[in-house]
Parts: sequence; C-alpha cells; structure tokens
Amino acid sequence: MTMKRIIAGALALVTLCMSVTVAAAAGTGLIFVSNEKSHEVVVLDADYSIVKRIETSRRPRDMHFNADKTLLYVACGDDDVIDVIDVATLEVVDNIPTGPSPEVFAFSPDETQLFVSNEEDSRLEVIDMASRISVMDIPTGAEPEGVLVMPDGKTAYVTSEVADMVHVVDVASGAVTKNILVGTRPRRFILTPDGSELWVSCELSSEIYIIDTATNEIKGDSLIFVPPGFREEDVTPVGMAITKDGSKVLLSLGRANHVAIIDAATHDVLQYVLVGKRAWSVDLSSDETRAYVANGLSDDITVIDMASMSAIQSIPVGRVPHSVVIDD
Amino acid sequence: MTRLMGAAALTLGLLSSSVAAAEVTIGYLGLTDDARYHPDIVYTRIEIAPGGNPIDGATMGVSDLAVVSDAVGQTVSLDHVEAADAPALIATLKDMVGKGEHFVILDLPADLVDQVAAAAADLPVTLVNATAPQDYLRTRCYPNLLHTAASDRMNADAMVQLLRTRNWTRILMLVGPHERDAEMAASFRASAERLRLDIVDERQFTLSTDPANREANNTQLITGGADYDIIYIADSEGEYARYLPYDTQLARPVVGSTGLVASEWQWSWDRDGSTQVTVRFEELTDGRRMTGQDWATWMAAKSIVTAYAKARSDDPADIAAYLRSSRLRMDGAKGVQLNFREWDGQMRMPIVLATHNAVIAEAPLEGFLHQTTTLDTLGTDQPEHQCQ
Repeated sequence: MTMKRIIAGALALVTLCMSVTVAAAAGTGLIFVSNEKSHEVVVLDADYSIVKRIETSRRPRDMHFNADKTLLYVACGDDDVIDVIDVATLEVVDNIPTGPSPEVFAFSPDETQLFVSNEEDSRLEVIDMASRISVMDIPTGAEPEGVLVMPDGKTAYVTSEVADMVHVVDVASGAVTKNILVGTRPRRFILTPDGSELWVSCELSSEIYIIDTATNEIKGDSLIFVPPGFREEDVTPVGMAITKDGSKVLLSLGRANHVAIIDAATHDVLQYVLVGKRAWSVDLSSDETRAYVANGLSDDITVIDMASMSAIQSIPVGRVPHSVVIDD
Repeated sequence: MTRLMGAAALTLGLLSSSVAAAEVTIGYLGLTDDARYHPDIVYTRIEIAPGGNPIDGATMGVSDLAVVSDAVGQTVSLDHVEAADAPALIATLKDMVGKGEHFVILDLPADLVDQVAAAAADLPVTLVNATAPQDYLRTRCYPNLLHTAASDRMNADAMVQLLRTRNWTRILMLVGPHERDAEMAASFRASAERLRLDIVDERQFTLSTDPANREANNTQLITGGADYDIIYIADSEGEYARYLPYDTQLARPVVGSTGLVASEWQWSWDRDGSTQVTVRFEELTDGRRMTGQDWATWMAAKSIVTAYAKARSDDPADIAAYLRSSRLRMDGAKGVQLNFREWDGQMRMPIVLATHNAVIAEAPLEGFLHQTTTLDTLGTDQPEHQCQ
C-alpha cells in the first residue's frame, strides 16, 4: 500500500514536470465534472463532447486544480481519499488519504497545505502536501462543509451544516478563534476579490450571509433571492462563483432550479437563469464568457452564456453531478 | 496528539466568544418498559420491529448542537426519566418543572400524552410529543403541546399522494382488531376521500388459524372476491401484515403497515445530508438503525436547543415563542426547512415512503400544490382543523 503510494507519487511528480510547459499555455479547455453516484470524473472538450470518463475512488465531490493546472484534486467521500488526476494524461495518478468522508477542500495559497472538511467525524483536517501527513485536526460542529483559506494564508473558514455556524480558524495555531451563527445549513463560501467580504450560502433558510472579514461580524441583513413563481422555501442556495472584478456573483438556487446572477455591490438580481433540477455547484470559465452549473437531480450540467445571461445548452453527464471545473 | 491539540483549540475559541454561562436542562419523559419498543412484541425472538429506545435520537440532537450551545454560553443536558403510569408520569413532570425544566420531550403512548398534557396545561412548560402519531392529540388543542412525530393523517396523506400519482386508485383495506388499527384506518380513509381514491372493500382480519373463521384469517381468502389495484393494511402489531405480501389472491402490492411504509425517516434515505445523520446515529448506538421515532426525538431536542440558542432571550416564554414561530427553520436532513404549524403545533415535514431497504418516494410528491406551503398537503390543513 505504502509502496504503491510512493510509486504513484513519483509518477505524479514525473508527469507534473513533463506537463508544466503544456499547462503554461492556454490550458486544454477541458471541462471536468465529478459524478457523486457514478464514481467518475467526466471530461468534456470545448464542444461539450465527452472525451473521457475517468474512474475515481467512490463518491467524488469537490475538485480543485493546483495553481498551474497540471493536476486536478478530487475529494472522494466514500473512500476517504483525495484522488489526484493528471490533467495531461487524464489518469488518476495518486491519492491522498484523509479522515472519514472528505467533502470540500481548499489549498493554502502556497499549496503546501490542504484543508479538508471531513463530514462524518466533524473535523477540519489540515494535510501537509509534501509529507502527506495530517498535521492538524480541528474539531468543528457536525457535518462541516465549506472551506475557504484567506489569501494571506493566516485564516481559514469552515461551515458546520448542523450547527448553523461558520468557524474562524487561526491557521498557525489551529485554534478556532470565533464562531459566527448564520442561517440554517450553511454550505459554501466565496470571497470578494478585495478579500473584504465572505459570502456564505445557507441552504435551508434560503439566505446568503455576508461576513466582514476585517471584523468577522455579519454585515447587513441576509440576502434572499426568489425567482418568479417560486416560494422562499423552494430556494436552497448552495454553489456560488464571483467574477474576477468582483462585480457579479452567480448563485445556484438548488430546488428552485435557477441560477441567480447578482450585482455584487447592490445585491440586485440581474437575471434568474432556468437550469436543471437541484442546481448545485457553479463555476466560471477564465474569460468569464461561460458559466457551468451541476444539476444534481437531472444528471446534467447547464452552460450559461454570461453575455446574454441565458442558458444555452444542457449536457447529460452521469449520476448526480456535484462539481464542475474548467482547465482554460 | 493532533486531536488533543485540536480539541483544546476549539475550547479556547469558544471561551472567547461565550457570554455568561447558563445551564439548560431539557426533560425527557418516557414510559417504563414501553411495549412499543420491544423488538419481539408478538412472538418470541422473531423480530418484528427494529427495537431500541428513541432517547438515542434526543441524545444525538443535544450532541449535534453542543457547539452551538457552547458558542452562546449554554450547557445543555437531558434529564431522562421514566415512570410506569399516568399518575407517576404527571408527578415526574411536575418535579421536572419544579427543577426549572421549561421544555420536556414526551416519549409516551398517545393516551399518556393526552393525560400528561391535560395535567400540564397550566404549568410553565412546553411539551413536545415525539412518538405518538394519533390524530386526536392534534385536535385536543393543548396550548403547550407541540408534535415532532408525524401524525397518522400525514403518513396517510403521503401514501395516498403516491397511490394517486401512480393511478392505483382501487384499494382493498384490511384492518386489524385493535383500537390502534382502527385509528390508522380512519386516517387513511379520510386521506383517500380527499384525493378521491376508491375503497372497494374494507375487511377485518384476525390473527389465528381457526378454520371456522378462515374468511378473516386466511390471507388468500381475505384478499379474494374483489378487484383492486392495491392492498392497504392497518396492523399495529405487524404480525398479520408481515405474512401478507406474496400471499395474496391477486398479484397486487401491499402498503400501510408492511410493504411500502410511510414514516418520518428511514435509514436508507440518502439525500440532503441524511447519510451523515444515519452514520452518526449508528456510531452513537453501536450500529442501531435510525427509525422515525428516533428522528422525531432528534428533531424535538434540536428544535429546543436551537430555540435556546437563537431566541436571544433568557425568558422561557420568549424561547417558547421562538420555537413556535416561523423564524425557526430546522434542518431535518430532508432538504427543506421545518417548523411548527401554528394551528395544531404539528411540525411540518416531508414523509418518506419506504420498503425495507429503499426510499421509493418522498412526499409531498411533485404536483400536489398548496396555497402557502406544499408541506401542508400532508396532515389536517388549517381550514379543516377543529379543536375537539
């Protein structure tokens, strides 16, 4: 087991070195979708044709690239590992063991540490990337989910879905320095590009809370976005994305089957876009012309054209798509 | 080692954000040797019900939210007491209230809930009925009684929505000899009438092999001589029902007390974070699978602890008001926010319709609409509600 892991690690290192030049270019343009119930990451090309189904460990969910986008990390909840996919070869080349049921994770800015929420033992685990050893194991409220590390690497935030709380973690000491009570079942974060506002989606109270990162206090009233024809309780927000200039936020509304495009400054809704069933994670292409939404209950992803703010295509991908990331 | 460090870190963090510490004790009143939780109530060692005491659900509810309680400077504990009969239960409840317990979870059969709630009507306490589904408790209108157990009518409405959706509209009803069987049958009849299902016949079964009474005890005879799409059986013991599927005159599915069963919860439900709930419960109970009753005590405890943490008041009246208000938005791992109906104190909730190992549907089913919330398509709705 250990031997296998060392070999795989070495392999990954070799591939990493080989593919640096490729990744330094414009990227492959490939779109990666994790399918929770079919244990695979589906790869689509720029024309939305499926080019490969990469078999992963069981229940793949959150995904992140390394900074130069040569490797894709995939948290696999039922096998307690983070699989590592080589973006050039589209093979799983390594995996990183974690605590039970990893769901969402984030890297430290220098990529030396990985912060992962283990939803079954209620901990935020910090893994040293070089040694692959768990260096910190921070107890959280039950079912931790969203994880965000601040750009200065000093503070991490994690939600507890059961405790309705955001924990503020001092990275150096591993201490929880503050607990912020938010709405019901807080799920994910986005940070505004200037680092001043942390947005938290609260799935079961239909709200977005904004935390002032300078004070770690809640800023203003919570936001609620209800598309025409829906009721507040139909709105179960989860996934969010923000443009690089910080002007627009995309928010998936879950059971309300829409994505809201919001003016980040005024909090006005620019458009509600009808997508698939239980719209969940959402990601933007680098040039921000397209957004991609994973629809958990219709087994497809929806492509949104950002210029017209409308859905242009839905593509069937597999059972219970969880996250979408783009190599561009 | 890292775990220890982490634990110390969390405590440190919590201390820094805590206000004046407060001890909160939530009462949990159960019945000594409650027959409802005997796994082999009917026949020795052939398990009919999963068994287990639903106190485990309440324990998990308090534990799940300990971080929240800590953050607002509260230490919450459960005071679990069992007593053997109504006078002893009422005396125990008065003791609890005397000790300053303002919220008490009742894990009692319906007649005892009724008597205890009547005796507590003027006491400064909110009772939460977690395990008695009887509809009549919802129309008693005790001012201080809430319910996290789904009512019989909610379960019946969930089942009838499924039958209506499938267009299985012709029902053969089989009803057992016990009062409890008649109660369940009455709820089902009312639901069937609301959605215009056709009850082609209703027959009473008996649990025996007496040849003189074979029309009522032989499964093939009792299911013969009629044409129907589905069999609904009301059998509170479950002993007749469990031998009914695959032993019917016509090749028809069986629902109600066996086959497809409506409940607050089933362990195989895998959406909305339910897997984590099931796993946590199994860890807490050394492998026991969470039942609807466990779910309801879990929600009772979580709701009370949440009200304490979020009401922003130390006054029990304010905390009770928060508990009953629409500001309460509970997560029951069923994908929607839950709170209590103002007119009968019943918690709104989706109902799962499950076989022994799979959830087939979650009610309200798609297409059953309501002017305020689709959850109110399950159970007696406000215009139908009358105190009795």
